[in-house]
Amino acid sequence: MCWPGGTSSARPTCIQIFPIKEKSQGSEVFATTEFGQYLLNGISQGCVYILLASGLTLVFGILNVPNFAQGHLYMVGAYIGFYMVMSFGMNYWLALVLATLALGIFGQIIYSLVFYPMRKAPEVNLFVAAMALLMILEGIALYFFGTSTKWFIIPYTRRVITFAGLALPLQRLIVILGTLMVMMALQWFIKKTAIGAALEATAQHREGAMLCGIKVSWISAMAFIIGTGLAGIAGMLIGPAVLLEPTMGMGPLLVAFSAIIFGGLGSIGGAVLGAFVFGLVESLASGYVSAKYSLTFVFGIMILMLLFRPKGLLGREVWRP
Amino acid sequence: MALLEVSGLTKSFGGLTAVSELNFQIQAGELLSIIGPNGAGKTTLFNLLAGIYKPTSGTITFNGMNMTGCNPYQVVRNGIGRTFQRTTIFRQSTVLDSVIIGQSLHAKVGVWGSVLKTSANCREEQKTREKAREILSFVGLADKENRIAGSLTEEAQKRLSISMVLATEPKLLLLDEPTGGVNLEEISGLMELVGKIRQSEITICLIEHKMRMVMSISDRIIVLNYGKKIAEGTPKEVANNEEVIRAYLGVRYAA
Amino acid sequence: MEALKTAYSSKVVAWLLVLILAIVIPPIAGGYLTSMLILISIWTIMCFSMNLIYGYTGQLSLGHAAFLGIGAYAFGLITVKLHFGFWPAFFIAIAITGLLAFLIGIPALKLRGPYFILVTLGFAVIVGVIVLGWIDLTGGANGLAGIPRPNPIPLPWGTKLRFDSLLSMYYFILFFLVLIGIFSSRLVHSLVGKTFIAISYDENLTESLGINTMSNKLLSFTMSAMFAGIAGVLYASYNIVISPDVTHFARGMDVVAYLIVGGAGTMAGPIIGTFVLMAIPEVLQIMPYLKTLINGLILMLFIIFLPNGIIGWFNTILGRLLKSGRVVNGPA
Repeated sequence: MCWPGGTSSARPTCIQIFPIKEKSQGSEVFATTEFGQYLLNGISQGCVYILLASGLTLVFGILNVPNFAQGHLYMVGAYIGFYMVMSFGMNYWLALVLATLALGIFGQIIYSLVFYPMRKAPEVNLFVAAMALLMILEGIALYFFGTSTKWFIIPYTRRVITFAGLALPLQRLIVILGTLMVMMALQWFIKKTAIGAALEATAQHREGAMLCGIKVSWISAMAFIIGTGLAGIAGMLIGPAVLLEPTMGMGPLLVAFSAIIFGGLGSIGGAVLGAFVFGLVESLASGYVSAKYSLTFVFGIMILMLLFRPKGLLGREVWRP
Repeated sequence: MALLEVSGLTKSFGGLTAVSELNFQIQAGELLSIIGPNGAGKTTLFNLLAGIYKPTSGTITFNGMNMTGCNPYQVVRNGIGRTFQRTTIFRQSTVLDSVIIGQSLHAKVGVWGSVLKTSANCREEQKTREKAREILSFVGLADKENRIAGSLTEEAQKRLSISMVLATEPKLLLLDEPTGGVNLEEISGLMELVGKIRQSEITICLIEHKMRMVMSISDRIIVLNYGKKIAEGTPKEVANNEEVIRAYLGVRYAA
Repeated sequence: MEALKTAYSSKVVAWLLVLILAIVIPPIAGGYLTSMLILISIWTIMCFSMNLIYGYTGQLSLGHAAFLGIGAYAFGLITVKLHFGFWPAFFIAIAITGLLAFLIGIPALKLRGPYFILVTLGFAVIVGVIVLGWIDLTGGANGLAGIPRPNPIPLPWGTKLRFDSLLSMYYFILFFLVLIGIFSSRLVHSLVGKTFIAISYDENLTESLGINTMSNKLLSFTMSAMFAGIAGVLYASYNIVISPDVTHFARGMDVVAYLIVGGAGTMAGPIIGTFVLMAIPEVLQIMPYLKTLINGLILMLFIIFLPNGIIGWFNTILGRLLKSGRVVNGPA
């Protein structure tokens, strides 16, 4: 997958988001396992999108703000982890937890400074604020990290598991398992705790939730923090498997948004489904058609969905106010 | 031939049926009121007539034309105008500009005409402006034409929203609770306006809760409950209808 | 009435003064300033473009960088590869931009709010991907070179007006800026413009008054894209070389920042906003890679505290001084 890189006038870079094929020792057969390989890649890529999309749909459902900066928050997560591990020699897992916490705190700061003061502003102003946040993060990334790409190397990065003629980099397995654990934790949180119930209630009917005594501002902050935290986790999980680059967040952002539109607004299940599907679509398009245009496929499908079934697959009727 | 004919009109939202098998007619020139408890489907009916909702089944025929499934703007162009329950105006516009927008669907203007300031374009804009002024004096807001709409009183805002719809030159006017949120003295003023509109041969369909007013000005009344029509007739007939009393009125109304 | 008349004529005088300054200063000030003003003018045209679709019609399109890019590349390809002349290429490029805007607008404008923004953003990203990736057509990362300047115009007294110099290009671009400015101004003050503004206030209400909001939005979107296309052609012709950078979505976001800081929905807003956010970093010698950060920070401050921008704030102050409830004639 290729992104135009950098906002500065430096020449655009074309980054491979994931390796096209890992040659594994002892595996002679490629043609028949091509599909399987793409499938595997797609699953791990889909996991990244699942994390991003869940965060997006939570914030979108409760604050009604599409957090355009979600992709850049994911990028920041990856970079924070990179520096903690590569420059400070921290343990990967510790860095993961710290990066996630850092992004959660950052989410609280953004909410308190930007979205809470603007809660009564016209909707479009909130969108502009999210866009401004994107620009700020992009600027910071360019300033601190430059336009060169960085390779996040940890002991797990290089190891590859092979089975049935397929190669799975260990890091990608970590992504898949990590996503599963996080999503199960999120599911438990929403279904089994009081705060989770409050989140669901506010997402469904803001005024109703207020009437029930739910502190909507607090819940909104919570939703935002979870959103940014999820972005951080996603960045840290996939970071070692890809090249780090300041605009690495843009493509995943668009895919994640396409996913929640495809799966249906207001439904985390729909977001997960959409993200998973698009991870696969992207990987297959990348492998069989062209890495450069895989995003076009994803986007094209989203536009078709918007034209013919704006609710998405599992969504509720959310159109006219 | 009736001006408006509604046949078998049904609207369901998933499992909830808001409006069920409605059949009625509105004759040209009359004032028909729609009453019923909250949630009976009155505003849903207006939204269906205005093209905002597409019916699940049934037909709407206006002036002999089948209007089922028309877009909202097409409905207005065909001659049905409506106001909203919550006073909806362009808060940041001037009063005059608001009515000009209402009139604009009849103006023959275009991009090139506007940019080149052709005489035809300027004439159309002048005509629109004059018509808008006429309507403002009709509703009694002529002296406020340069005021910002959001700065008007609640009652003046209601007049403004009515004047905006009148500017579209409707044959049938759907008024959704025009006296909502307005105090007692102002009600008679608004009702006078409704009477004036009737006299200019515009058919009116009214949703209201203020029974005394409804009984006094309506030619006919339709009563809705749970999306179904439970009564139809003159005010006297409706006031004495057992089911209506049970569902809604509560007290015997001698009209 | 008298007060309004003097207000109007003082506005006209103010604009004329600005125009005179714009004409007179560059020859005196020299090459560096002129080249800076050229870029500012091109981005002001972009800002006028955004002002039409966002400031006056209320639809926030993050895809207009794509239209600038399409205009630039269409023009570049038609002149360089098909060897068309400047003016035929100019009009064809604008037509192509308009057509593409029309086609993407039909599905995109069916959506409201964030969905529309997203689709336009996606469109910009995809155009960027295609321009970068379709190396055979666009030259990929290496870009396109050899784009011509306007043809020399024969003057009544025998000589020809050539466009090789910086100054001549500046006046050429200034001409289009003024043209587009007058076009926009006339449009937004007309009934058509009022319709756009009504849509930006309340689309549902406007529709309930019998106005086909979809076709109006499409009209506004297509026109604004064509303005962006003009900016693209002018940039291509001025710069002689274009690269995929010119389609980058972040440029579109920069323009939104210029517009909001200046004041969306006003006539002077785009000019002030673009000028301030482009000239001041130049003057302060701020490094290019800090520009996005600074634009973002300034935009954030403005959208929270001064969402109506500099001119909007100015109009509000003026309104308070002239007493509330009365119409305020701000700078156009």
